[in-house]
Amino acid sequence: MFRSSQINAINILLLPLLLIISISIGAAAFHWSDVFSNSDTRSLLIYSRLPRSLAIILTGATLAVAGMVLQIVLRNRFLEPNMVGATQSAALGILLVSIWFPQATQLAKMSCASIVALLGMTLFLFLFRRLPPHRQMMIPLIGIIYGSIIEALVNFIGVETNTLQLLAVWFAGDFSAVLAGRYELLWLTGLMALVIYFLADRLTIAGLGQNISTSLGINYAQMMWISLITVAMITAIVVVTVGQIPFIGLVVPNIVSRLAGDRLRQNLPSVALMGANALLVCDIIGRIIDPPYEIPVSLIFGIVGTMIFLYLLFRKPTVHAT
Amino acid sequence: MFKSCWKPLALSILALSLLSACGEKNTQNSSASNTTASGAAVSGPTVSVNTARGEMNVPENPSKVVVFDMATLDDLQALKVPVTGAPKKVLVPYLQQTLETVNNTGTLFEPDMEALNALKPQLIIIAGRTAPKYDELAALAPTMDMTDSGQDLIGDGMKMLDTYGKLFKKEAEAKKLHDDIQNLLAETQQVAKGKGTGLILMVNAGKLSAFGPSSRFGWIHTQVGVPAADTNIPASPHGQSVSFEYVQKTNPDWIFVIDRTAAIGEEGKTAQAVLNNDLVRQSKAWKENHIVYLSSASYLAAGGVQQMKTDLTNIKAAFTH
Amino acid sequence: MPSPRSGARFLGVLGILLIIASILFMTYGVKGSWDFVLQLRGKKLLMLLTVAYAVGVSTLLFQTLTHNPILTPGLLGYDSLYLLLQTLTLFIFGAVGYASIGAFTKFTIEAPLMMAASLLLFRTLTRNSNGDLARLILTGTIFGVMFRSFNSLLQRLIDPTLFTVAQTSYFAQFTSVNVSMLMIGITVMLISTIWIWRMRYQLDVMMLGRNASIALGINYPRLSRNILLWIALLVSVSTALVGPVSFFGLLICALVNACTPSMTHRLRIPAAFLMAALILVCGQLIFEHVLGMQGVLSVVIEFCGGLVFLWLALKRQS
Repeated sequence: MFRSSQINAINILLLPLLLIISISIGAAAFHWSDVFSNSDTRSLLIYSRLPRSLAIILTGATLAVAGMVLQIVLRNRFLEPNMVGATQSAALGILLVSIWFPQATQLAKMSCASIVALLGMTLFLFLFRRLPPHRQMMIPLIGIIYGSIIEALVNFIGVETNTLQLLAVWFAGDFSAVLAGRYELLWLTGLMALVIYFLADRLTIAGLGQNISTSLGINYAQMMWISLITVAMITAIVVVTVGQIPFIGLVVPNIVSRLAGDRLRQNLPSVALMGANALLVCDIIGRIIDPPYEIPVSLIFGIVGTMIFLYLLFRKPTVHAT
Repeated sequence: MFKSCWKPLALSILALSLLSACGEKNTQNSSASNTTASGAAVSGPTVSVNTARGEMNVPENPSKVVVFDMATLDDLQALKVPVTGAPKKVLVPYLQQTLETVNNTGTLFEPDMEALNALKPQLIIIAGRTAPKYDELAALAPTMDMTDSGQDLIGDGMKMLDTYGKLFKKEAEAKKLHDDIQNLLAETQQVAKGKGTGLILMVNAGKLSAFGPSSRFGWIHTQVGVPAADTNIPASPHGQSVSFEYVQKTNPDWIFVIDRTAAIGEEGKTAQAVLNNDLVRQSKAWKENHIVYLSSASYLAAGGVQQMKTDLTNIKAAFTH
Repeated sequence: MPSPRSGARFLGVLGILLIIASILFMTYGVKGSWDFVLQLRGKKLLMLLTVAYAVGVSTLLFQTLTHNPILTPGLLGYDSLYLLLQTLTLFIFGAVGYASIGAFTKFTIEAPLMMAASLLLFRTLTRNSNGDLARLILTGTIFGVMFRSFNSLLQRLIDPTLFTVAQTSYFAQFTSVNVSMLMIGITVMLISTIWIWRMRYQLDVMMLGRNASIALGINYPRLSRNILLWIALLVSVSTALVGPVSFFGLLICALVNACTPSMTHRLRIPAAFLMAALILVCGQLIFEHVLGMQGVLSVVIEFCGGLVFLWLALKRQS
């Protein structure tokens, strides 16, 4: 068993290293030695390389945190925004806005996507309530099918309105279009992650169920809504700015809790760090397979993430620390 | 191991090979007889035309034509030849007036055989996307496959135009259009000469894909003669996913933009907003104001005479500024 | 125990409905020359029937094998596996003109591959699910996602001229018919019918569970392996004909299990085929000929099938 401090130490060492690699790789010519002497290189760094790397870090960290919150609050190891209908509903929201109000701003699209994502998750909760919580595997399964039903609906609208190509962009996330001025919404997700960090202990108690929360003086319903809203916002912002990235919210928290046990507050920084690192690695892979062209990071993570997930499913189930 | 199973499997493979042998023989027969129009018998005067599947004889100046190709629709509209049927759900703005009055015959990929059967066309004209359905369509009516070679879009487009001029007895009009394009192309080549390299980009929901000389927009490089800023782009049908840095690095003198978000929102506007950033601004193309916005129909009706005219005029205008 | 009469009546009703639907399908809204339309729709009808058989029977066999009424091969990633194998063969043999060879040759390469691969997949799934059904399905679903991701990656790296051949959609298309593939499908259908019909009583015994069937003298491992091979072959047929259908089989088997007077295979195998055919023929009739919306049927079926799955899963829990 690792201590979370050890994991953090490894991840904190890895992060700058990966960040440097991520900044070094790209289509344009870039040499570290020119950063101070050459203004073009400097502007490339500030305008493209750094924003892209920051966007990856923010996305990876907050998606992992969103997955962790879902896992704690709904008391299930195998949940993430993709598996509670949040991502698919967010895409539905953006699609509807784009069709009805093509001139809508990014912020308006995001708000609409958040609201629809929240609705989608609320509907999933109604299903979830009917399932006994000890059926660990049944809940994510229901979630996946639920998500695919919404996705079928989105695709149907896409076929009818000739917008399938746009859907492909939202359902396959990549960071190729990230520039300074085009990703700043993602900082909001960082804000959400902070909110979660400050509420970590209360959320953990809410995860123990309504009775325990009430007896410990925690407003259960309020905590549930806060966690759902933060997850919906994180998901919607990511889908609007870069597109969907599957499995990261599921795989990262599971690895961390495997190594360091289940403690939301202590693990949250580790989860965020590891999420950022994992996504950085995958995006770097996507950039170096076929340069100067790019393979979307969602595709890379779809392969890597499913493999890790399968490993998690195949190993012996561990006893839950509650 | 497979004791109870191998017999039926062996049987099935045997039966399959027999069946498929029959099946393949059948298709061979049908394709052999396709050089002359199969299916419906051709009555009246015929004319010999060049198609993607070789020479064939088709009825001269048919009055009922069904078209499964946007470029052909474009040509026939330019030649003022009436069209009886076509796929209606096509987003090519300048063809809407023609499409409003035709009977719907399915989609480019899935022709509605029953509608065709009811229309009884004297001639069906298809290309690229409908080509796999050739045998089925040829059984209904004489069918011309006008798929272009992919090497010489403009040259093929002209040949196609000449063919239609001959077929519909509109030689004079076709010749005039042909000469117009010929001159326009020559002028465009002239003004584009020595003006530097070009890069073809498609913009979709804020993201970019690049297209190379062997793609369907390659004619800008191969025929207009704008050298490619990046010669290695594979010919993927959806382009290659690229970043804005790529545009800065390839540093083209000219950028040709196809805007896919035109389906929702204003054409050209959104693409312009997407491209307006520090990295693209560093490219020679942006500095010189050398961004050419092609119409969204460029790849739907590629090779049609009006589309060629529109695109070439666009490009020529950009180069003469 | 219901009387055999009620079983015959059940099949009879389904059969008559199917005949009515087929007649309507063949004759509704015909314009132009009849013999042409009949030929065209006849081909489509044959295709729908073949797909109905392949999907319905493969799902039913799968449920017998796994003793479980909410499983389907599509849900466990079988369809995605077949599509991945298609792209893989194209990727490997692409240089030698694989794209231009006939449907039959392709199928004889792909189907055995699919059989071997699906044996592996099934073994992996069952060995690691420890008898936990939800874990089994979840694992299968994730495998499906992984196959699809690999498929997309390969298609990006593949030579684009080949890519047009390999282009696969996430939805089945019930509108166009590939005649040589249809021949293969019909052949597989006929031969599998003979085998399954011979095995019908053994299949009934199989539903009692592993130990009981072994006690009753069934060679359990061999029988289950053979069933799996047939399932793989049938999935290959349906996927090659129309594309992936994940929930369609589930929808059919749920309906059959809900309506059937008895659980014998003698009754349920024909019923699954008839029910599937009825849904496909009616659906295609309504969407294509009445509403004139092509290509919508599969989305609607997936949508309904997904809802049925949710309903079944929730019902089992409570």
